[in-house]
Amino acid sequence: MTFRISKMLLLLIGAYFLTFIQSYWHWPRLLLGFQPDLTPAFLVFVGMTMGAGYVSSMALATGLWLDSLSANPFGISVFPLFFVGWVVFCVREKIMTREFMAQIYLGIIASLIVFLFQLILLRMFSANPMIGWEMVFWSLLNAFFCGLFVPLFTLSHKAFGRWFSHPSYEPNKWLDNNRQIVRGKD
Amino acid sequence: MALIVLLIIPGIARAKLKSTIGGMFLPAIGVSSVGNNVLGVLSSKSLNPVQDEIIDQALDSDLKLENIHLRAENLRLRAAADWGLRVPWKTKLAQVIGRDSFNWWRRVKLNLGSQHGIRSNQPLVSIEGYLVGRITEVGLKTSWAVLLGDPNCRFSALIKSSRQQGGIVSPRRFNSNYRIVELTYLPNDIEVRPGNLVVTSGLGGAFPKEIPVGQVEDSWLSRDGLYLEAKVKIHADLNRLEEVRILTEY
Repeated sequence: MTFRISKMLLLLIGAYFLTFIQSYWHWPRLLLGFQPDLTPAFLVFVGMTMGAGYVSSMALATGLWLDSLSANPFGISVFPLFFVGWVVFCVREKIMTREFMAQIYLGIIASLIVFLFQLILLRMFSANPMIGWEMVFWSLLNAFFCGLFVPLFTLSHKAFGRWFSHPSYEPNKWLDNNRQIVRGKD
Repeated sequence: MALIVLLIIPGIARAKLKSTIGGMFLPAIGVSSVGNNVLGVLSSKSLNPVQDEIIDQALDSDLKLENIHLRAENLRLRAAADWGLRVPWKTKLAQVIGRDSFNWWRRVKLNLGSQHGIRSNQPLVSIEGYLVGRITEVGLKTSWAVLLGDPNCRFSALIKSSRQQGGIVSPRRFNSNYRIVELTYLPNDIEVRPGNLVVTSGLGGAFPKEIPVGQVEDSWLSRDGLYLEAKVKIHADLNRLEEVRILTEY
């Protein structure tokens, strides 16, 4: 129970800083000409590795935080993030989520879906964002960044697991392989 | 479900909720600014004595560069001070501490709020005195402002030489160049030339009269032929905005 709470806390802190950095770090905008949005990659990672409760909580928290720092109608980013997180969560047993390239593709597709969903919802709720063909190029570039960040999030998750949890107990494995007596003829 | 609940609650309650959740980032803003200051102090001190010699050798050229930089800054601040003396309005200097997370809006967050006397709809000008935008949402310690070119920042402007009035709107098609806006609803029987200066008209009371906005780059007749439209390059560089002046009394 404690582990679950601390894991949730850690994820919330991660989501908090991700949304904060997107709004308060100015240099990516100056360097690339636009502000990358990595929250779809984060939700893909959560959908791949965590349970349903984590996906829902992260989509809600990240979406609300993003909208609170934007002119978007409040709550509009929750559904697209929730959707991609849930789709990945539902099909993760059927796709090769451990493969590096599969993770990249998932990140790219999720980013594009979130982008489209957000635009559709904005138009539905009569907000008038600035839209143009140049935006398509940026969304593709952003999708590429999201694709790269999914494996990065997964690797960091594995590293955190190694650093902060006990090694898993496997009764059939010797602690030291050198001390194992190998029987049989050479 | 959460989305539906959030979108059907009344606008005022939703705005308050948004502001409250946005307030959760205040500690992070504080830590970030303290961290920046500490890093600035640490980077000025060397911990490696071997590097000191190399640094000493480079110091002369560094000092020369710094001198040039300080001269430029001095000129900029003198110009700003002169501008402050020339205009009849009371202003407050604010720092840009954040920007909208989404690229389809042009909004910035400022480090002054209602406790500093900031109110909604107060105009924003750059250090040099060019129009930048207006305040839209005010919190206790911070506030949000829309910049020129945002779909929610429309106002009346005029061409300085001919005194013909029109309206500044965001570009019809998204443009990554932060300095492009459109001047529309100009009479179709006038001549608009590239280089013509555009200033605020003072109509509607949103902005005081004669604040410089930008200059015309191109003009064309609208599709129905009823009015002229012009592409205006604004004077202020909105992408590199670090400090702004808020007109508190005008």
